[in-house]
Amino acid sequence: MGPVVKKTKAATEVTIAGLKFKNPVMTASGTFGYGAEFAPYMDLGRLGGIVVKGLSLYPRQGNPGPRIAETPCGMLNAIGLQNVGVDDFIERKLPLVRNAGTHIIANIFGETVEDYMEVARRLDGAEGVSALEVNISCPNVKKGGIVFGTDPQEAFKVVSAVRKSTSLPVITKLSPNVTDIKVMVRAAEDGGTDAVSLINTITGMVIDVERRRPVLATATGGLSGPAIRPIAVRMVWQAAQAASVPVIGMGGIMSARDALEFIIAGATAVQVGTASFIEPDAAVKVAEGLEEYLSKNETTVQDLIGSLRTA
Amino acid sequence: MEIKAEIIHNDSMAKGYFKLGLACAVPEVRPGQFVMLRVSDGLDPLLRRPFGIYRTLGQTRGRTLGTRGSSSKSKGIEVLYRVVGKGTAILSGKRPGETLGVLGPLGNGFPDRAEGSNPVLVAGGMGIAPLYLLARRLGEGTLLFGARSKAETFLLKDFRGLGLKIKTATEDGSAGIKGLVTGLLENELTPESIVYACGPVGMLKAAAAISGKAGARCLVSLERSMACGIGVCLGCAVRAKAHKEEKENRFYKMVCSDGPVFPGEEIDWDLL
Ligand SMILES: Cc1cc2nc3c(=O)[nH]c(=O)nc-3n(C[C@H](O)[C@H](O)[C@H](O)COP(=O)(O)OP(=O)(O)OC[C@H]3O[C@@H](n4cnc5c(N)ncnc54)[C@H](O)[C@@H]3O)c2cc1C
Ligand SMILES: Cc1cc2nc3c(=O)[nH]c(=O)nc-3n(C[C@H](O)[C@H](O)[C@H](O)COP(=O)(O)O)c2cc1C
Ligand code: FES
Repeated sequence: MGPVVKKTKAATEVTIAGLKFKNPVMTASGTFGYGAEFAPYMDLGRLGGIVVKGLSLYPRQGNPGPRIAETPCGMLNAIGLQNVGVDDFIERKLPLVRNAGTHIIANIFGETVEDYMEVARRLDGAEGVSALEVNISCPNVKKGGIVFGTDPQEAFKVVSAVRKSTSLPVITKLSPNVTDIKVMVRAAEDGGTDAVSLINTITGMVIDVERRRPVLATATGGLSGPAIRPIAVRMVWQAAQAASVPVIGMGGIMSARDALEFIIAGATAVQVGTASFIEPDAAVKVAEGLEEYLSKNETTVQDLIGSLRTA
Repeated sequence: MEIKAEIIHNDSMAKGYFKLGLACAVPEVRPGQFVMLRVSDGLDPLLRRPFGIYRTLGQTRGRTLGTRGSSSKSKGIEVLYRVVGKGTAILSGKRPGETLGVLGPLGNGFPDRAEGSNPVLVAGGMGIAPLYLLARRLGEGTLLFGARSKAETFLLKDFRGLGLKIKTATEDGSAGIKGLVTGLLENELTPESIVYACGPVGMLKAAAAISGKAGARCLVSLERSMACGIGVCLGCAVRAKAHKEEKENRFYKMVCSDGPVFPGEEIDWDLL
């Protein structure tokens, strides 16, 4: 019964908020620098997109060390959102990748709603930015540090404020540290988001039992890597059921098979994060593996999205 | 560069210490640079492990005549390591013929020596590994080696005959003087000295302080847990003293991409 595969369109092509992606594999924010750092290891043009390190209104120094700790099949990080700031990004980092032949997506965050709006405004006219990804897993300093992404009202406020500040497509990056992800999907949609991406890292902790101290200087950090993948797949599946906008899935993707889990669960595209630390060209390998799977099974990404059989 | 390298040898040197030879053509290596090794293709341990490049293997060194085209390339690298945990334990079980993912050479290594300076190398235990290529290049000066006991002095074997004076300090007095290697340093320094140090943080901090007092330059090679090794995860940060003239005014430096070698006075040792 399957429809005839259109020969004019690549089997890997997907569209999100009017943007065409040659393949559904992007790199995740904070795991791929500002893009150019990886040019020695691969052809960046093989990627569906690059999501750059989270950008704030002013440069941020980040947290004291130790900032990372390895965990079984994963890692904890508490980088503290160190970044060069939005102006420096536009001036010095963006020119290095704007002609790389892939979508550049700017991940943004702030400590107040006004911060988010201003960062969004500054990126609006920047040549070479295809979309914004709004990281709402940040504390709102004006609201006593309550994390935007764990409170539907706060999430709605920040998404609608960004929506009004830019003409670019807006992707809202959801936090997994919530009881019901569907509520957060709806809040982001009500705010006017064009897509949602998930999951960000899951809060975790490791303790050095000899010193009886946390290993990370900040005590807790964000868990990423294959250890979180089953949680991520579950949340993407739930989000996709609730969402009317496209879902971008991530969390522990190391291979094309991992990426396929997310797509079958309902993701239109995926992001590869921690894997790029281990193999710099991991995302390209995922894209290649996906192509192989599609040609072997004579299907398209479009046909696989949300194709999970539950009966 | 990311490649799969065949293991040439992985020999035990002493209990818990190994010498690993990897067949991989590497471009020119600067003393003090490192590689990230993938000790397992599985998911646990997940991250690569950083190791200093001990030396390059199979360099032509005048034995081959004729074309010089590929003379800066070597056939492999050697790494010295001590088993301290899961990753190094797995590594110690690898056999010749097996392959290993190698990313590198990475980092900036030691800068070229200033003219007319008197080099003093300070090594604490396994910290001696990244100093071998440097010692060979310098061919003069003094090597101060600190260890817990005589059992670790086998690490000095390759350094004999390179043209450096060697002095040893052990904590238990079983070889050389009894005490810390930094005790030896005080008597070696002149304002023209340049100190190259690698070892535990306490030793590096003391070496930087002693050098500073003597008016000598001190370069330290730092270690931090790493995820990427290429400056993108921002996980290996160390606290540096803020520079007013720097536009970004960063007070964190990345050990992997800004270092691992830093001028001792750049590091904020109290907030490290
Ligand atoms: C630039 C650089 C160069 C290095 N060169 C060498 C070398 O030439 N030879 C060598 O033997 N080792 C070297 N190291 C240290 C080496 O990376 C660690 O010993 C190794 O990562 C430990 O892995 P593991 O899985 O065995 O230990 P884990 O199970 O990860 O940890 C076991 C113990 O080792 C400590 N440890 C873990 N990582 C490091 C680290 N990076 N530095 C210090 N202690 C650590 C942990 O705190 C823990 O107490 C270097 C480290 C860096 C950053
Ligand atoms: C070191 C590190 C830094 C990160 N920085 C950011 C960031 O700046 N903004 C953001 O939205 N997500 C950030 N993330 C989260 C990742 O983009 C991703 O959501 C998460 O790591 C799960 O994917 P993974 O398991 O494939 O890494 C970071 C993750 C890591 C490991
Ligand atoms: S290890 Fe990733 S930035 Fe240094």
